[in-house]
Amino acid sequence: MGVSAIRDRISSSRDHYIWEDLKEGVLTMVETRSAKIYLGFLLFVLLLGLFGPYIAPYDAEERLRGEGGELLRSEPPSLDHPLGTTNNGYDVMSRLLVGAQPTAAAGLLGGAIIITIGATIGITAGYVGGWVDNVLMRFTDLVYGIPILILAMVLLTFFGMGFWSSVVVIGLILWRGSARAIRSQVLQIKERSFVKAARATGASTPRIMVKNILPNVAPMAVLFLALGIGGTILIQAGLAFIGVVDPFVPGWGIMIRNAHQAGLVGSNWWWSLPPSIMLSLTVVCTFMFGREYEKIASGEQTFAETK
Amino acid sequence: MSRARFFVVRSIQTVFLLWVAFTGLFFFFRFMPGDFTNLMLAEGANPDAVAEFEERWGLNDPLYIQYWRYFMNILSGDAGMSIQYRRPVWDMVNTRIFNSFILIAPGITFAYLLGSIYGSIVGTKRGSKLEEFGILPLIFVGSFPAFVTSIILVIIFSSWLNLFPTSGMISPGRQAEFAQLEWYQRYLSLEFVWHFILPFTAVMFRYLYLPTMIMRTSIVEVMGQGFAFFHRITGISKRRQLAHLARHASLPVITVYPISMTRALGGLVLIEVVFNWPGIGNTLVNAVMVRDLPIIQFVFFLVAAYIILANFLVDIVYGIIDPRVSVGAEDA
Repeated sequence: MGVSAIRDRISSSRDHYIWEDLKEGVLTMVETRSAKIYLGFLLFVLLLGLFGPYIAPYDAEERLRGEGGELLRSEPPSLDHPLGTTNNGYDVMSRLLVGAQPTAAAGLLGGAIIITIGATIGITAGYVGGWVDNVLMRFTDLVYGIPILILAMVLLTFFGMGFWSSVVVIGLILWRGSARAIRSQVLQIKERSFVKAARATGASTPRIMVKNILPNVAPMAVLFLALGIGGTILIQAGLAFIGVVDPFVPGWGIMIRNAHQAGLVGSNWWWSLPPSIMLSLTVVCTFMFGREYEKIASGEQTFAETK
Repeated sequence: MSRARFFVVRSIQTVFLLWVAFTGLFFFFRFMPGDFTNLMLAEGANPDAVAEFEERWGLNDPLYIQYWRYFMNILSGDAGMSIQYRRPVWDMVNTRIFNSFILIAPGITFAYLLGSIYGSIVGTKRGSKLEEFGILPLIFVGSFPAFVTSIILVIIFSSWLNLFPTSGMISPGRQAEFAQLEWYQRYLSLEFVWHFILPFTAVMFRYLYLPTMIMRTSIVEVMGQGFAFFHRITGISKRRQLAHLARHASLPVITVYPISMTRALGGLVLIEVVFNWPGIGNTLVNAVMVRDLPIIQFVFFLVAAYIILANFLVDIVYGIIDPRVSVGAEDA
């Protein structure tokens, strides 16, 4: 297939139902007020990731000196330095703003890996069934048993402590939840008449999986993308805190590690607390957004049923 | 399938799984790049010395002989020597295991007790404000990275209020004094309790949300069943009603308990690092940094064994509480 053919396919797929489904999915996501708040905060972090380095008041890598030329070590918050300085004279506010970028990037890449693997395995296992399902699901069970932080820690020390490698290792393990959930939904979808009709017209298995099943699990895929982003950020920060991630990529996890390594977590709270809070809020917002979305998607029926 | 047969089958499965985990880990670590001898060479060690080192530790023997030797050694309680400290791994690890256990087991058990009680209360108050917002803070704290919860505790209770020490299990100044006592006496001292409270609280808060949420959902489900209705119309006291409900609703919570215990390992590592707690997680982090393979491999095996045995135990307990699991298995 040539380049122009691919471009044609992409442009013709623009008004495809998959986009309609996605648009609908995005709109249902923000139906409630709390969902709007959670998504709003996540977009805020994303914007920080894009523009943080430009709005930072100081150079994050510059060791600041006072008027007398002495290093501004562990200065508490002031008007000049809204969040104070670190023990080496770095401006905390600037580092916080710059640190959004690696954190957001890690989340997005991790989420993408997770949902790609999870959807592929989930849809294949659910639709094909039989021994394929058995093998894939036993494999998923196996991955489920892995304590992710502990394994990732060892893999990283042996294969190199990079920033991206930490994200990829997490992505290669954390797809397990989405694979299970998507499979169980596919099991219901494949009994519906439109799938049977597609099969009766002689559509191939891959075609049905992509054209008929995938659009129908898209809302759930979006949910697990959100959870995947949160999970990746959470564990990546943990690995950074332990010290098996490249310390020169200044994410929030690394910031907290530096404060802890300096033994100043408690006394220089203006240094350790802001990245901790930003990190936690980001993770909480992805998880809560997923939960809220689940509530909206299931139509609040749980309450009425049990009453 | 009779209950006895169910137990026997699960026992055999468990032993088999332990062996699979053991073997898998052995080969996993053997094929890892960058082992200790490579590191020695990279740091400029004399190749002759490295060869002698390999000869001495039997690293030149065929893999199956190494495997067999390791297997027999583990069975006889010998997990090898730490490369970094030149001490038997077991000697280094045994008190650490206890230190971690004493942190995680009471922490999570307490979280489950507290969470079950709170979850039942929230669940029976269906539709109230408590039901709507009562669990939210717990979920928030539970979604925080484990080290963040710990750091916030340190900032508030050690730095601002100056109530508890920031790190360690025994203050550095009193190490020598406690070294002379029997090993268990340190756990009975006030010094230990003083250092224990913050990490314990961190573990508890971190895992409080799951039992609470499950208990709430479960109790709502059970309330809709026939016997609950029957209890309501016979007019027995609210407390006894709740006791009956809780007994039935606790099954899902019991299932998740070992999952939490195993899932908590990652969080435990982080909490131990923050508080500099001399537990197995801290040991592992230190060993990983210097690639002390015997320690890493043994700790990994411990983790795997812990997960496998926890799952085995819950199946057994579940089989006793709910006979449908063991006796009715053949219908499936």
